[in-house]
Amino acid sequence: MTPDSEAPGVAVVTGAAGWLGQNLVRALAGERERVRCLVHVAEQAPLLEIVGPSVETVVGDVRDPATVDRLFDALGPATVFNSAGVIHPEGRTRELFDVNVGGTQLVLDRARRAGVTRFVHVSSNSPFGANPTPDERFTEDSPYNPYLAYGQSKMEAEQLVRRSYDRGDLATVIIRAPWFYGPFQPARQTRFFSTVRRGMFPIPGPGTNRRSLSYTGNLVDGLLRAEVADAAPGGAYWVADAEPYELREVIQGVRDALAAEGFTVSQRQPHLPASVGNAAAALDAFLQGRGLYLQAVHVLGEIKDTIACDISKARADLGYEPKTGLVEGMRASVRWCVERGERI
Amino acid sequence: MGRSILVTGGSGYFGEILAGGAVANGDRVRVFDVNPPAGTAASVEFVQGDVRDRDAVRAACDGVDVVLHNVAQVPLARDRELFWSVNVVGTANLLVAARDAGVGKVVHTSSSAVFGIPDSNPVTEKTPCRPLESYGRAKLEAEVLCREAVASGLDVTIIRPRTILGHGRLGIFGVLFEFVADGAPVYVLGAGENRYQFVHAADLADACLRAAAREGPAVYNVGATEFGTMRETLQALVDHAATGSQVRSLPVAPAAAAMKVLATMGVAPFAPYHWLLYGESLWFDVTRARTELKWEPAHSNTSMLIESYEWFLAHRHELESANRSHHQSPVRPGLLRVLKRLP
Repeated sequence: MTPDSEAPGVAVVTGAAGWLGQNLVRALAGERERVRCLVHVAEQAPLLEIVGPSVETVVGDVRDPATVDRLFDALGPATVFNSAGVIHPEGRTRELFDVNVGGTQLVLDRARRAGVTRFVHVSSNSPFGANPTPDERFTEDSPYNPYLAYGQSKMEAEQLVRRSYDRGDLATVIIRAPWFYGPFQPARQTRFFSTVRRGMFPIPGPGTNRRSLSYTGNLVDGLLRAEVADAAPGGAYWVADAEPYELREVIQGVRDALAAEGFTVSQRQPHLPASVGNAAAALDAFLQGRGLYLQAVHVLGEIKDTIACDISKARADLGYEPKTGLVEGMRASVRWCVERGERI
Repeated sequence: MGRSILVTGGSGYFGEILAGGAVANGDRVRVFDVNPPAGTAASVEFVQGDVRDRDAVRAACDGVDVVLHNVAQVPLARDRELFWSVNVVGTANLLVAARDAGVGKVVHTSSSAVFGIPDSNPVTEKTPCRPLESYGRAKLEAEVLCREAVASGLDVTIIRPRTILGHGRLGIFGVLFEFVADGAPVYVLGAGENRYQFVHAADLADACLRAAAREGPAVYNVGATEFGTMRETLQALVDHAATGSQVRSLPVAPAAAAMKVLATMGVAPFAPYHWLLYGESLWFDVTRARTELKWEPAHSNTSMLIESYEWFLAHRHELESANRSHHQSPVRPGLLRVLKRLP
């Protein structure tokens, strides 16, 4: 493990009310003097501020220069965690570029002017598409091969971040996180649990394709390591659970977690012909070529792929070690739902 | 004595009784509400505002020692957006403002709706919360926020009351009382053998004030200690009224379905909470409140139902014009009047 710098007393979090943001803010709140959060909707502000007196909120859109000016107003030395992003746009793909690329450009610019000491950018597996063979793992040397509009937007954002580092503007670190799971999950993940519990989640093909997942707690650890590790600036790192899982193992992990938390779980596993996944992927590509987006088609088209990464470099450079495994992390997610009375 | 107490929702049915209780204790009382209180105790300071307005909530918390938080959209509002913005975000506004103002204690009035239909009774503070409809889910989300506020250093106690009764309490009961007063039959679902517990507003106010005086975060379930089945409770009322009104049974599934249809059409005053819970047993074990708060309820199910009914009779003719909260106004029975005319 490489030596560390000290984290500054101030952290800026964009996308703070999102799935990852909620987890990150809770990890930072007790440790920092100020955690300044960008939230999109005014109602999210008190829901985050309740976490602790260090939490401050700025309400507005990451695409709005006046909002981002306020986010960086009178900060002092600070780290930026840039986790604002759109994954599933509503109807049209344009929003992916406006927010993921335009928003990142704006935050980079204001962070540079504010003298931010480190800029940790949350990226994705999507700029790299799917692994060409079932046994391959993405490394930091894998070439860009963006998957549709989301992948394109996250790739362009990464390129902006790298350019900012290359110019000497900011000490940037890119963290590439695949498929999340963990507390503060969106409604779509709760629906996923519910569908699995009732034995209704269909797998296209045999389900032996591998997927890397990142438990939000592990990912937060990775982001906090990226903030201080001296070897990190200028780098990009895959941060995920220790090893990829087969898709059918992921589904079984959800079943095991639900059963361990006292739910009645169907062990039925419906399968679809692999051709359905291919057809969905083709339809998704056709629609996105016309600027249109349908979430169900996108998810079905992507689920058949192997999307797996190797976290060795994050272990070596960042001192990152994933602490939570699949069933334990899924159980924490289920408990989070149960605490809020959500029906699974 | 002499604490400065903020009662949010202090102009509502229960809030007003609670504010009165605090005044009687010798506390300085400030009421925060969208509406001015009807009973104007000269000593009560009124701050007009909406709990969704962060600045207004901050101003209301200034210089306050204790907050009794009662603002809520009740089930009859039947508006998921309002449940979210008032019951959840409003509670977050209050908790953040209280913490930042250095308030020493917050008592949050929750609801037994957080439990949905329990697997077994009695329900204790350890029974898992499984709300069934959007009102109960919002009240549970507000409890989660209270726990987060505790973790960030605020002393918050949660009180979960059973269905509140007492003089001046109407809401859905206005329909029941009108039927009884006019000698029409009143209905239970199925045999009416479900055990259903009420709590008197004065007993609940007493529990809240005792909780306000006790240091450290806690949760208390609060309800009457003397109560019986739904049929026994209604029978006691019609016996008392002696108007010829009788208790009748309706088959559970069709009646619940009819309540849902009529409510959805907007022609009968029901919320999901009513058709889901009216025929079910839900009663609290109140041991913790009795031991830790030294709280003893003074009213039984039947005594408070009769008291509410008597109040209704005495005020029936003044009620039509008044503009008050859901729980202070009689709701319009709508198509339910048809039931009154059945032989």
